[in-house]
Amino acid sequence: MSINIALAGNPNSGKTTVFNEITGSKQHVGNWPGVTVDKKEGTYKKDRDVKVLDLPGTYSLSPYSAEEIIARDFIVNEKPDVVINIVDGTSIERNLYLTLQIIETQIPLVIAINMMDEVEAKGDTIDFNKLSEILGVLVVPIVARKAKGLNHLMEAAIETARNKKKPNNVQVFDKNIDSALLKVEQLLEDKSPDERRWKAIKLIEGDEVITNGLSDDTIKQVNIIVKEAEKEADGDTEAKIADLRYKYISKILKGIVKKSEKGHVSNKSDKLDKILTNRFLALPIFAMIMYLLFAATFSENFLLIKGLPSPGIWLAGLVEEGWGALTGGIESILSNAGASDWILSLVIDGVMEGIGAVAGFLPLVLVLFLLLSFLEDSGYMARVAFVMDRLFRHLGLSGKSFIPLLMGFGCSVPALMASRTLESDKDRKITMMITPFMSCGAKLPIYAMFAATLFAGSNKTIIVFSIYMLGLVIAIISALLLNKFAFKGETSNFIMELPQYRIPTGKSILIHGWDKVKGFAIKAGTIIFVSTVLIWLLSNFNFTGMVDMEDSFLASIGNAIKFIFAPLGFADWRASVGVVTGWIAKENIVATFGQLFGGIGDEATIEAISSGAQALPEIRDVFTQVSAYSYMAFNLLCMPCFAAVGAMKREMVSWKWTLKAISFQMVVAYIVALIINTLGNLIF
Amino acid sequence: MPLALVRLGETKLITACRVKDEMKKHLQDLGFVKGEKVEVLGENQSGMILLVKGVRIALNKGLASKIMVD
Repeated sequence: MSINIALAGNPNSGKTTVFNEITGSKQHVGNWPGVTVDKKEGTYKKDRDVKVLDLPGTYSLSPYSAEEIIARDFIVNEKPDVVINIVDGTSIERNLYLTLQIIETQIPLVIAINMMDEVEAKGDTIDFNKLSEILGVLVVPIVARKAKGLNHLMEAAIETARNKKKPNNVQVFDKNIDSALLKVEQLLEDKSPDERRWKAIKLIEGDEVITNGLSDDTIKQVNIIVKEAEKEADGDTEAKIADLRYKYISKILKGIVKKSEKGHVSNKSDKLDKILTNRFLALPIFAMIMYLLFAATFSENFLLIKGLPSPGIWLAGLVEEGWGALTGGIESILSNAGASDWILSLVIDGVMEGIGAVAGFLPLVLVLFLLLSFLEDSGYMARVAFVMDRLFRHLGLSGKSFIPLLMGFGCSVPALMASRTLESDKDRKITMMITPFMSCGAKLPIYAMFAATLFAGSNKTIIVFSIYMLGLVIAIISALLLNKFAFKGETSNFIMELPQYRIPTGKSILIHGWDKVKGFAIKAGTIIFVSTVLIWLLSNFNFTGMVDMEDSFLASIGNAIKFIFAPLGFADWRASVGVVTGWIAKENIVATFGQLFGGIGDEATIEAISSGAQALPEIRDVFTQVSAYSYMAFNLLCMPCFAAVGAMKREMVSWKWTLKAISFQMVVAYIVALIINTLGNLIF
Repeated sequence: MPLALVRLGETKLITACRVKDEMKKHLQDLGFVKGEKVEVLGENQSGMILLVKGVRIALNKGLASKIMVD
């Protein structure tokens, strides 16, 4: 017999650690339909018939957030055979608030009291048997980080599922609420008894989602009952119910939890918080940590040692080398086998280059996410969001937007993926729309080429730096405008639990980081691959067959669309083609220009132009200083590369929103380039 | 008085949460109910770090000024 188990619990209760421990490597991470909330499924590593689902972390089953709606819909509608409720033993009082709500649904339940090592270290004790007796559910102490007690927990869960044992119908409420509940239950006669009770509680709590499912007549009668009950509940039944739940918890815990010391004792986390969230020290410390994180991923001169690659760059180099060797091998096998030119070109320039573009990103994504996972699992990320909140509030964003934006200077792909940590849908969308304005590493070669060719002299650095600043300024203006005109609602208040600082386990960081990379490789990879092959087709063919790029479809397209760029100062088909090839990867613009303007095909010369060591004088025929600046600005701000678009689609879970974001970026790019070209020509 | 005015290290009792429905619900879920003890553990430009039901909660000043304590 197969058994379905759902894990429920507060955020930071160690739920995901439990999930990883009991499923081992047998897990699948997807999305709940229509939202960016991870859906993790797996099978119990000791019994494949036992399926385990990790519900999102929630404080309650009220519909406050997408996570809470998902968790409660799953428990109530999908009816798993048993729910395992992970409770943080160090804050058992607050955690049991969710437990009481799960008990209200009368689903078979097992409670796992986690972090028992920390409870014991404090000298506190919890009487599990007594708790078990009162609630009518099995209670198992565990230490998830050390994989302690998990076998016992799974035995308890399987036993509860087999017996279909419901929790006790605990008496939480007072006479007034109970009588109101009874009256509402009578209105819900068509529902099963368990459902009736749960829905009645939700209706008295004023839950809109449940109310909307009723007939107008029933709603009217419920309202009368609630009005009546409010008289004896200080005018607010909802607050009364919350209050009664907490009172009940305090009452039962009196005989169950024995604390060695009264009140709050200052501990390691408090001491760290005194420094890490300090009014004056918080920002400098954070800046330093971010610099290290960034350097470890993207720096060519790690720790300021010239020529020492960071772990990210080093790995990326290895992958690129390996990929180059593989491509070379395939090329020689194909030509030895007598493959035709177009097949050779399709496989090498299309397919291999397409997959190579994805493969080249993976090490950077991997290193960045391993480090971010470390910061997140340690509890520091929650503090960062809090510390940065004040600054970002001025832009109408949350402090949590800072991480993705900063990462955007390295690569938009992991940056867009990091926006997942923002709970507010509005903040997440705005952050994703402006993240590509942070000039990523791949755009630097474009600036280097123009700077060496058209801005030779002392102002080279200023030109490149000013482009970076331009992106930043446009991002800030965009955030303000989007907040004012495109998105409804005021900036949400900031409230967040700060978990205890803990040293993360290597296993959890690896699992965490690997999930992200796998997701990226599959989803973004498909889009990058398809677009790369498409551009390959366009740039190598016309109706007569295979041709040079000058005669290809892409050249015709370049000629057809170049008029669009006339107001921006670069009505040239080659410049237009550059914009298009830039969408595969922004640094491609240099190779395209090298080929189309200078007839340069060899890698070494392109490398030299990309690093600004060599000029490409032929582009002076088309570009002035002003139009070159306008071109750089346009390519900085317009649609990012397909890899980033793929990541954006994955995070927005909507083509409509992805297209909206791209359109917004295109319009912004056009307007900014237009202003630069117009004003520039007036001034210079 | 509003929670935002409570000094570092002091412990007060919550008397009311003057915020809109959804936030009120969320505050309740986090343990901010009438009569509950709240201790101010930290303070900076962004807001305050509180201890409620044995858990650290960070919130911005704006929200802290809407929670009444005594």
